Amino acid sequence: MNKLVKLFTIFISAITLTLASISSSFAKVEGEYIVLGSAISLTGKYSSNGVHTQNGYNMAVERINKMGGVKVGGKSYKFEIIYYDDESNPKRAAQLAERLIKQDGVHYMLGPYSSGLTKAIAPVTEKYKIPMVEANGASRSLFTKGYKYLFAVLSPANQYLEVAIDLAVEKNGGKPVKIAQAFEQDAFSQDVRLGILDAAKRTGSTIIIDDKLPKELNDMAATLAKVKAVKPDVLVVSGHTKGALTAIRQISEMKVDVPMLAMTHCDAAKLSKQHGKKSEYALCASQWHKNLSYKDKFFGSGKKYDKDFKKEFGYAPPYQSAESSAALLVFKDAFERANSFDRDKVRDALKTTEMQTFYGNIKFGPGGQNVAKPMILFQVRCKGDVCENKVVAPTKWASDKFYHPIPKWSERS
Amino acid sequence: MGNIKQKDLILYSGLIILGLAAPYLFSAFKVQLTYLCVLIVLAMTWNLQGGEMGYNSFGNILFYGLGMYLTASVQVGMFFPLAEWTESGGEKTFVHTTAQYFQGIGVGLLVAAIIPTIVAGAIGYAILGLRGHYFAICTLGLGIAAGEIAGGIEIIGAGQGFTTPPFPAEIVDPEARGQFFYFLSFFVLVVAFVFVKYIYGSRFRLILNAIRDNEDKAEAMGIQTMKYKIVGWMCSAFFCGLAGGIMGGLIGYIDSTDVAFDGREMGVFMVLMAILGGKGTLWGPIIGATLFHFFKEGLWTFILGWQYVALGVLIVVIVVYFPEGLMGWLREKYPERFGEVIDEKDRKAQVELK
Repeated sequence: MNKLVKLFTIFISAITLTLASISSSFAKVEGEYIVLGSAISLTGKYSSNGVHTQNGYNMAVERINKMGGVKVGGKSYKFEIIYYDDESNPKRAAQLAERLIKQDGVHYMLGPYSSGLTKAIAPVTEKYKIPMVEANGASRSLFTKGYKYLFAVLSPANQYLEVAIDLAVEKNGGKPVKIAQAFEQDAFSQDVRLGILDAAKRTGSTIIIDDKLPKELNDMAATLAKVKAVKPDVLVVSGHTKGALTAIRQISEMKVDVPMLAMTHCDAAKLSKQHGKKSEYALCASQWHKNLSYKDKFFGSGKKYDKDFKKEFGYAPPYQSAESSAALLVFKDAFERANSFDRDKVRDALKTTEMQTFYGNIKFGPGGQNVAKPMILFQVRCKGDVCENKVVAPTKWASDKFYHPIPKWSERS
Repeated sequence: MGNIKQKDLILYSGLIILGLAAPYLFSAFKVQLTYLCVLIVLAMTWNLQGGEMGYNSFGNILFYGLGMYLTASVQVGMFFPLAEWTESGGEKTFVHTTAQYFQGIGVGLLVAAIIPTIVAGAIGYAILGLRGHYFAICTLGLGIAAGEIAGGIEIIGAGQGFTTPPFPAEIVDPEARGQFFYFLSFFVLVVAFVFVKYIYGSRFRLILNAIRDNEDKAEAMGIQTMKYKIVGWMCSAFFCGLAGGIMGGLIGYIDSTDVAFDGREMGVFMVLMAILGGKGTLWGPIIGATLFHFFKEGLWTFILGWQYVALGVLIVVIVVYFPEGLMGWLREKYPERFGEVIDEKDRKAQVELK
């Protein structure tokens, strides 16, 4: 036992030494760099959207740094981001937020991908009074908690597909419709569901199928079999990227005929590219589209952003990337208006943000959500074999007419 | 417990002092240290039935998740209507006063310890008749099923998740929350250790070992193996529930499959940690959990995106080179330090035979 005790003493002291030698906190502003922190899903079920988010952040950092950086107190600073991989897990995200703040000394945070993860991180940033600008946490309940340091550049999740129901009712001659819906069991998708419930109530529509889909979903055949049997007027599906891909794949395999198909995450899933004509007529909610007429001096217009992003990363930017880039523009603007690195001053500046970016107007409501920007709907339309997302609502930006009802599979070539 | 040797006494008091001083010495690492305490508790109590009894359970995550939901539910439900708290993903917010918060978490943890223990008893009665990999697979299903079921129960937030009550705002010191959860988990760790240590010196452990080594013989010797198996599992469930309750409060947000019934991570980690350190030993799971946590925290951020590959490699290395865990490996290398006497002649004879 004697030697064992010695062994343990060595073991324990080794740990102590390691811990003590790790320097904690290197400070929020290092030399000419403003250090931001972010936990991002690089692995796990949100990894593809996590990468979209990260690309959006990186693109904006590079652009802002190249175009003169952030001017505070007459000096020019550059942005730098410390990333950790949260593995698409809220537990890990909360832990990493703590780590970024306590050990890496980060004083300003960028949001993670998805509502669930933002829900896990927000209490941590709030506790340490760290301003966080997030671009991918849309759950409505994030904005009713009275968080003072949380700012979201996007519209809340319940607004995603509400408009789609209105559209369906309109196409039905103003009469209530029958809705079939299937949502992944996660914070974001369930919030989209709440929006549909509200819209159904408002329009007197009935919900005839209300299914929950598992996380990491890759099969929804049971729901679709029901849809085939009861013939609803509109089918609503939401479940991040995998949800969109699964829905299109199985709807086309099972030849499910439904007059209207409303979804989320079509652009993040690159539906029009991956599934081509099979995805035609899908109606998708989006925070942003390149054809919108917003402008700023860093990225120019949406179209230019689209072009630059494609050049840099090799694919068309989904709205997740656009809104993430916008988050950095918001931070830059706030730092410059605060003209200080004091967290509370930056926070106050964020609160009074009112600006236009290529992604849309940004102004924060009392709960921290962006109230200046509407959601848009686009529809996948194909010409020959080339499919594109065409904006159909709101009418201000609509480039195409909403095509309704979707032709039957037997009539589609 | 009167048989603690003086050397041990020094070791234990040293560890306790280190444990108590740790949040002040390494202030920035409080949350990680809390995780470490919880991981050790999980590994140590998994070892009770996984290592000592030979019943490899992947289902302990069930008790952990149950404890998490129960603590949070009780903490909210004692003072406010729970259904309104979780409605629409938790839009309404009620604010706990300082006293309410601590009363709530106290009672919550108590419930989180008791109910999983009872559940373990009930489930154990039903499934502990299974042996070997049948038992392992069955318990694997338990955790997954629980996650899916919890994801459908509206009153605990369903798929939207459950935001646990925030730490009382009246306590302005931002360090207070970390310290509270650290000391809570450290306390549970100490209690768990004393308990497991006590079991290691008892007849109960011998019975568990007998079940592991040959259940039929144990039965033939007149041991009511079923009874002991159930009690063994209930002991694990008690501490898993507590650990879950603490983690729920610390993380602040409960998701059915990713945080509470997180079989993919926590459920596997607790097994891995026990095996890494050496199952069936008192210190093995503790060392295993510590090393694992250091490996994870230290290395994972440097290999962004590849950490699960590294974890896979680690598992392979453990299984190939340390099938008995670190403690088992040390024991084989330095048996005399574990108080084992080796007959040199016999050992040589065996070597020559090969």
